[in-house]
Amino acid sequence: MSSVTRQGPATARPPTSKARACGGDTAYGSTHPFPDKVLSSRAISEQLRGRRVLVVDDDRVNRRILSGILQSAGYVPVDAASGEEALEHYDKTRPHLVLLDVEMAGIDGFATCRTLKSTFGDASAPVIFITARNSPEDVAEGLEAGGSDYLPKPFRPREVLARIKSHLHNQFLADQQKQLVAQLSAANAAKNKFVGMAAHDLRNPLASIRGLSEFLRDSNLPADQRELVELIYGASQSMLDLVNELLDVATIEAGELRLDPQPCNFADLLRGCAFLQNIQAAKKRSRITLPDDTGAPTALMDVAKMRQVVDNLLSNAIKYSPPGSEITVAYHPEAGSAGFAVRDQGPGIPDHERDRLFRDFGRLSAKPTGGESSTGLGLAICRKIVDAHRGTITAENLPAGGCEFSVRLPALPWP
Amino acid sequence: MILPEPIFIVDDEIHIRRFLGLLVRQLGATRIVEAASGDQALELFARERPGLVLLDINMPGRSGIETLREIRTLDAEVPVVMLTSLTSRQIIEETMSSGADSFIRKDTPSQEIIRILKELLTPASLENEAP
Repeated sequence: MSSVTRQGPATARPPTSKARACGGDTAYGSTHPFPDKVLSSRAISEQLRGRRVLVVDDDRVNRRILSGILQSAGYVPVDAASGEEALEHYDKTRPHLVLLDVEMAGIDGFATCRTLKSTFGDASAPVIFITARNSPEDVAEGLEAGGSDYLPKPFRPREVLARIKSHLHNQFLADQQKQLVAQLSAANAAKNKFVGMAAHDLRNPLASIRGLSEFLRDSNLPADQRELVELIYGASQSMLDLVNELLDVATIEAGELRLDPQPCNFADLLRGCAFLQNIQAAKKRSRITLPDDTGAPTALMDVAKMRQVVDNLLSNAIKYSPPGSEITVAYHPEAGSAGFAVRDQGPGIPDHERDRLFRDFGRLSAKPTGGESSTGLGLAICRKIVDAHRGTITAENLPAGGCEFSVRLPALPWP
Repeated sequence: MILPEPIFIVDDEIHIRRFLGLLVRQLGATRIVEAASGDQALELFARERPGLVLLDINMPGRSGIETLREIRTLDAEVPVVMLTSLTSRQIIEETMSSGADSFIRKDTPSQEIIRILKELLTPASLENEAP
């Protein structure tokens, strides 16, 4: 819509980055809360018309003058003659902005502001002090009390209105941002749910395709047909892996990754994983070797989830190292953290690809050396699981070649 | 190995029934009875007592867990293995407390399913389950 309605020289101008980010009719639909162009000052005033402004002053004449100025600009003034009354009216009328005198009988303006901010929190309206007390110390105290601005008395109506407009506009933009974040979070949650459901519904039929083709593969088929069935089997296995990993990502993103932490020694964990992964490694004449158990640290972890991390790192190490490689494991018994490292003999990680390493679908240029498949989600899932444990996962190229992936979890006792 | 027969395979999806049928045949089963719903399974149950039930949790109509509870009022002994497509802790706890003996995620590799069934059906484990 923006490109159609915009006329004259504006259409000829290349879009600014702001216009690209905001001109969202195609990307976000017509409900997108951002205006599609920067508003004129007059348009902003129109938009702010009808906003309620609480005027707090113990001087009746001052209140009347300020109210008149506010009305002339289209605002709706609400009066309060003291700090106490202001707090009461604030709760009832929920104004968009507060003009607050400082020197008043009862609680003064600064105290009123502090109470307002502590009671109503971040959502409370901006407060502008308007007072004859205007030494730099006063101004500082007012702003520290939570005020957004400070106007000296005697005031000039134009300046008062300009400042009010500026603060109301900022508040309006902040509200829009909040609304946008809420909309995007809802859209993201809906996407996660959709991915989860789709992946979930694909899993059973895929499992059957794999299982049934496995039976067919093992039956008495002519060699050429057997090859086709083998391909079906391999493809369904890769799809199943992908679907399972998508399901993992969706579950994690939806905040449904629940950890069931219990103490576990890394040597026990690594031994179990290495045994199974060595079966895969043997197909490439590679081997995973574990160090001596002594010094293997213990940490609190969700064992099943952490096993997924270890399996992923070990299978990656096998996948990206040339056939006949030795994958080694080391333990990190450092103060404050507990973890392990997996060292491969692969090509290492090019510097310019480093930032993609732990991202969803962040596949790098390195290719599996034995025709294995890769979804590009494995390391992203690892990072999410390790993050959930409040740990870290890192990758370092080794000087002698190859790469070292390290996982560190908080040492016992858990903070 | 000698399997307690017949074996009931209850799942609303035919490809799952056939796949599991092939698996238990590989284990030596000869009499396999398929049911496409919980109701159908209970009808069959009234006519004949199986030696093993493989039972899907997520079926339209009567769910697997409801069917399992119904089966348990008729037969407290028959080994029942629940088939799931996801294994949340909640589902595992609910199935186990409703009287299931084991559960298998349907995308488990064939060899692993065979291992689970063998373990469940070896005489030692059957003895342990007897009251």
